Amino acid sequence: MNRRAFLDKMQQASLAAMASSIGSASFLSSCKGAMEHTRSADSVILLWMAGGMCHTETFDPKAYTPFEKGMESKSVVSTFPKVPTALDGIYFSEGLEEIGSVLDRGTLIRSYRAADLGHILHTRHQYHWHTCYEPPQSVQVPHIGSWIARELGPVNPVIPPFIDIGQRFSVGEGEELKAFHSAGFLGTEFGPFFIPDPTKGLESVRPPAGMSLQRFESRNKLYRELIKQGPLGEKSSNYQQESLIRSMERAYQLLKSPEVEAFALENEAEDVYEAYNTGRFGLGCLLAKRLVERGARFISVTTEYEPFLGWDTHENGHTRLKAMKAYIDRPVAQLIKDLDESGHLDRTLVILASEFSRDMLLEGRPGAKIKDQVPVPDEVNDLRNYGMHRHFTDGCSILMWGGGVKRGCVLGETAEERPFRAITEPVYIENIHQSMYHCLGIPPETHYEIEGRPFYTTPEGTGKYLPDILV
Amino acid sequence: MNILLASTWIWEFLGRLHPMIVHFPIGILVVAFLLELSTFWRKPQAPFSRKHNQIWVTIGAISALFSALFGTLLYQFGSYQGTTIQLHLIGGWITALLATFAAFSYTAKPPNSHTVSMTTLGLAVLSLVVTGHWGASITHGANYLTEVLPSNEGPTDHERSEKLALFTSFSQQDSFPPDQLDQLNLEVRAIFAHNCYQCHSTEKQKGGLVLDSKEGVFKGGDSGPILLPGNSEKSEIIRRLELPRSHEESMPPKGKVLASSEISLVHLWIDQGAHWADASLSIFPEASMALSKPVVPPASPQFSHPVDRFVNQYFQEKGRAWPKFIDDRTFIRRVYLDVWGLLPEPDYVQAFIEDPNPKKRGNLIDKLLEEEHNYTQHALSFWNDLLRNDYSGTGFITGGRKQISSWLYQSLASNKSYDQMLRELVNPIPESEGFIKGIRWRGGVNSSQRPEMQAAQNISQSLLGVNMKCASCHNSFVNNLTLDQSYAFANVFTDTTLEIFRCDKPTGRMASRAFIYPELGEIAGADLATRLEELAGLMSKPENGRVYRTLVNRYWDRLFGRGIIAPVDNMDKKAWDQDLLDWLSADFIANGYDIKHLLRTLLSSQTYSLESFAYPSSAYLRSESFEFSGPTHRRLSAEQFVDVVSQIISPVYHSVAYDPSGYASSAEWIWHPEIEVDRHVLPKPGMRYFRKTFTIPDVEKLTDAHLLLSVDHRFTLYLNGKFVGSGSDWREVFSRNVKEFLQQGENLIAIEGQNEGSISNPAGILLSLALTDSGGETAYVVSDRTWQSTQISPPKNWFRIGFEATGWEKVRRFGSFQRSHWGKPLAFRHALSDTTTLSFARASLVQLDPFLKVLGRPVRENVTTKRPTEATLLQTLTLSNDAALHEVLSKGAQHWKNAYPNTPDRLVEDLYLYALGRKPNKQEKGTLYTQIKNRYTEQDIADIFWAVILLPEFQLIP
Repeated sequence: MNRRAFLDKMQQASLAAMASSIGSASFLSSCKGAMEHTRSADSVILLWMAGGMCHTETFDPKAYTPFEKGMESKSVVSTFPKVPTALDGIYFSEGLEEIGSVLDRGTLIRSYRAADLGHILHTRHQYHWHTCYEPPQSVQVPHIGSWIARELGPVNPVIPPFIDIGQRFSVGEGEELKAFHSAGFLGTEFGPFFIPDPTKGLESVRPPAGMSLQRFESRNKLYRELIKQGPLGEKSSNYQQESLIRSMERAYQLLKSPEVEAFALENEAEDVYEAYNTGRFGLGCLLAKRLVERGARFISVTTEYEPFLGWDTHENGHTRLKAMKAYIDRPVAQLIKDLDESGHLDRTLVILASEFSRDMLLEGRPGAKIKDQVPVPDEVNDLRNYGMHRHFTDGCSILMWGGGVKRGCVLGETAEERPFRAITEPVYIENIHQSMYHCLGIPPETHYEIEGRPFYTTPEGTGKYLPDILV
Repeated sequence: MNILLASTWIWEFLGRLHPMIVHFPIGILVVAFLLELSTFWRKPQAPFSRKHNQIWVTIGAISALFSALFGTLLYQFGSYQGTTIQLHLIGGWITALLATFAAFSYTAKPPNSHTVSMTTLGLAVLSLVVTGHWGASITHGANYLTEVLPSNEGPTDHERSEKLALFTSFSQQDSFPPDQLDQLNLEVRAIFAHNCYQCHSTEKQKGGLVLDSKEGVFKGGDSGPILLPGNSEKSEIIRRLELPRSHEESMPPKGKVLASSEISLVHLWIDQGAHWADASLSIFPEASMALSKPVVPPASPQFSHPVDRFVNQYFQEKGRAWPKFIDDRTFIRRVYLDVWGLLPEPDYVQAFIEDPNPKKRGNLIDKLLEEEHNYTQHALSFWNDLLRNDYSGTGFITGGRKQISSWLYQSLASNKSYDQMLRELVNPIPESEGFIKGIRWRGGVNSSQRPEMQAAQNISQSLLGVNMKCASCHNSFVNNLTLDQSYAFANVFTDTTLEIFRCDKPTGRMASRAFIYPELGEIAGADLATRLEELAGLMSKPENGRVYRTLVNRYWDRLFGRGIIAPVDNMDKKAWDQDLLDWLSADFIANGYDIKHLLRTLLSSQTYSLESFAYPSSAYLRSESFEFSGPTHRRLSAEQFVDVVSQIISPVYHSVAYDPSGYASSAEWIWHPEIEVDRHVLPKPGMRYFRKTFTIPDVEKLTDAHLLLSVDHRFTLYLNGKFVGSGSDWREVFSRNVKEFLQQGENLIAIEGQNEGSISNPAGILLSLALTDSGGETAYVVSDRTWQSTQISPPKNWFRIGFEATGWEKVRRFGSFQRSHWGKPLAFRHALSDTTTLSFARASLVQLDPFLKVLGRPVRENVTTKRPTEATLLQTLTLSNDAALHEVLSKGAQHWKNAYPNTPDRLVEDLYLYALGRKPNKQEKGTLYTQIKNRYTEQDIADIFWAVILLPEFQLIP
């Protein structure tokens, strides 16, 4: 079933549901189903800048202070010059020209404030960003992708509703990463489908290597016959048995579906492949594009968290950010352009974010001194010390496109002088989550009772969406 | 009249058209009304749409008349009863009449006033909505819409509805029993507690309203009284609860929605006079602390075992006969899986069946319980889940967590008495302190998750079967625990005094110190050590019926798939046989808190030998309306499944995270250091070269030189320039005597290692060379940081002595034999004396990996006491395409093919005997032979394995 057919079916189903329930008082007074009227997106792509992406070095540049031997650390503001974007008066840091060129198609939030969780541990902030709850919690908390998968299911039944591209768990803090890459109490059914290497995506949705389609079919036929002929086949069945047989049938349908070709990057035209290919992240964006076009629900593509790598610059910040920007600039912009041109951007919410920002001097947030993790000399004599090496939580940038998000909108601002904290329109994680749920038509009161506790998508179900950035 | 009688089928047929035809008036009248509304706002009135509406209203009215008519016919011929249908019937006719009036009003000449027409139409639509709702309730059930709402999942709503029905039936009689009025009030107070206390309680009085006291409820809020006893319709609270969610005054205002059954209960309570129960009653039912001392029902010739005597009485009271019992073949399979988590060998099964000894089942139970390791390695998973002990997880990285694996293993293997285990858990020795230490992450945490609170929460949930998590933030909405009680309990575990935080905000009050069940005794010690000792005493003393009842119920749940009380973490729920539970608990205490005694008691009952019963759903199993009819169909746990596959086909795991034998090696996992942006990164795919020189002072004295090597992924090994061997799977430890390659003086180990894969991933070398001399002394050369490596393809002679390894780097360490990504490979042993008790890596001892996780082994960040048993798509998908499982099946096929080179029929028969405990029937034989008759290949055998291990018959415990 292709996406259109699936949507058609969904529509028929919901019409039928409406027909049978109009005129029902309880329906009118306690309507809690999907909020169809707010639904402006079917899919979400999260572009995750793991490790703490510095806002003043990327999407919210301040005064450029070029490297000079012996300069005072406190005089360092931005280590790159500003470049214009498609929006008048809005500048990005040098190296993000491509993303700047598609800013008119989306919204820039400059006033995100990450939580104050004390002595910084990246994975705790990442946990908070992805689940909306501060760790640890007394129950297993679901990832936002799992909530969405649970509430909306797959768009195309052949494509798992929650796909996570690019993160490996054999890296440092792997256990902490696993703690939030999880469906928690919603059950493994809604957990992430991991594709650490986007060029190997197909392997995870195909019969095991070395098994021909013919052998796969005959193996399945054997299974079905043995079920029929065994003693349990005739007996009155039980729900465990039924759930097993049903799930087996679904797995079989999925593994033999020709539609899983969406996972095969090698089928992409060479020029398209190269347009994205800056490495695993770029190819992850390409895979996300292919999957969204064929009906994916929630996809996360990460630059990957590995302690002290990627955006986690504890030294050489300036030099390393050049490389990081080159790593994301082209594929992100290409993804937006391609989705926009194919019309999918209208129904796909793309969001680019990081767990917190960085600063040269401040660790944590102003006024709440926490333990510094990186020594910063008073004078910068080595290029190695030139960059944003401490963790800053009080002002961060988030980019959003499509799926009901305004085009060419900028929300909030940070101070021009250090500390570069959000000074207007502060935005918190529950606002980001609720905005996503709002666009997807998932009501704010969505919750499950777990160990006697009503557990909501956002804490206490009180998250407010951001009306100013939505169409 | 004759015609009428003769062709009733016509009337019946027309009656059955009612459900279809009713949608016409619904659709048309609503649309007409909406159109009307739209014209109403648009002034001046557009005569055009009024004219339009004449037609719609008329058609609507006609269809409404027909609907009412057909509905009446349906009522006459169908088997409908009750008040709802009568209301629906009357409502239907009222709607039809109103619609007809409206139609006349719209078409009247001269035209009626617009307001009159519209009001009539509006009333018709209103009546339609109400009637439609009643109709829908008849067709789909009263809670058709509400039952799918997430908050209504699970048994609570179901139970509430049952209670509602019960109370409603009382209200329809003349007198409402006083004790039931109390109960009704308690239900309503529980609803307030769950939904309203957050804003309207003594602690937080929004709008001046307090709902947690009688005075508060009857006084009302700032805007006046909230209820009028005896008249719910005129009660403000009902109005607020029933307002549409969008309305400003709707209650509760945010997030929550009351279920319709909850609102109905409040209705009923007010209508019955808003009786307030004695304030001393607890809002939530609470189990008594002491065990009742039930008398065991009399024995009969058939039932002498105490458990059976209770169950016999239970069945008699329910007026039911005993269900069927299982045969020996099924019994041995069930009891093996329950005690060892493994399958019995086919020969053993046959001998057991043929054994004429009437006590053979008892003997088998004793044999299984006496063998300590298999017993422990199965029990371990349950206990690890319960005590959230794991080999990996959050917190370990910064030392914020500690395993209790060895303490737990030894306690179970030695069958330590449970009261002793309790004491060691709450007043720990160093090996068991991980339990109350909890999990600490770096940075600040929510006050309800501070380590002391975690200890209190976990002791409550795991050991006492009571949920304290809610009450660690605010007074509980699910039981009678208060915030102060939780803090008092948490405060036992600290040297300082905790300040009470409510919903993470300081209250300024300091916590006292007390056990959550103060009736058991005080905690008054002056220092932490004394207090923990006191707590250990309170927890383990025999008067603490709760703690032992909780454990007994958990074991019953494990063996029968549903506890005597469910859910197992809520011991205040109603038991299906409280006497049975209390007798078992008292017997457990009387027999020295002996867990194996408890197991023996349960396993040796005939009740355990009942056929498993097909209960309708997992929700039914959790509900209080459950009736016992035998064990449920239980699915193999992740560990049982993996172990049985290992046992029959080929080992799934080859290394363990915890090795009960305690075997240690000083070898370390090493690889070439790889740097990117000044930082170490995971090894990249490719070839790397390793060297290590060592000295043998007197090669003549050497009697033995045993080398062990494990390399992820591939290696070629050279000793002193000579090729020794190669390998491509780290799990298959390379093991051989290498004495012939060694020489006097300097020796060289050289390894060419390759990391495979498309992106960087873990790679490592683990080597140990044991050099034993004639004096019996053994020296070891192991992989460690003294080795050198390079990634640059070196000159040809790099593996020979004399090569100058200039520019080579010091290797990087990736973990020790004791603790690493790979676990401890079981085959990494120099001598038989080092051999562990394991024939393969039992799944309970390995580190959690994605495969086990998908199969249902929990992440032990929180306590898990019940695993889901229903199959998921992710599980079957993994079992269908997982490369590692595929490899296991292929390897197993190789072994089996070697064992049965030319006898496919015997292979199939023995496989069935082992895997399913029976021979294949004729049909199955036919199918299986077709698979392998012509081509008896390993592929076909592997596919048979796959099909068999995915059969429900294999996956469900019989």
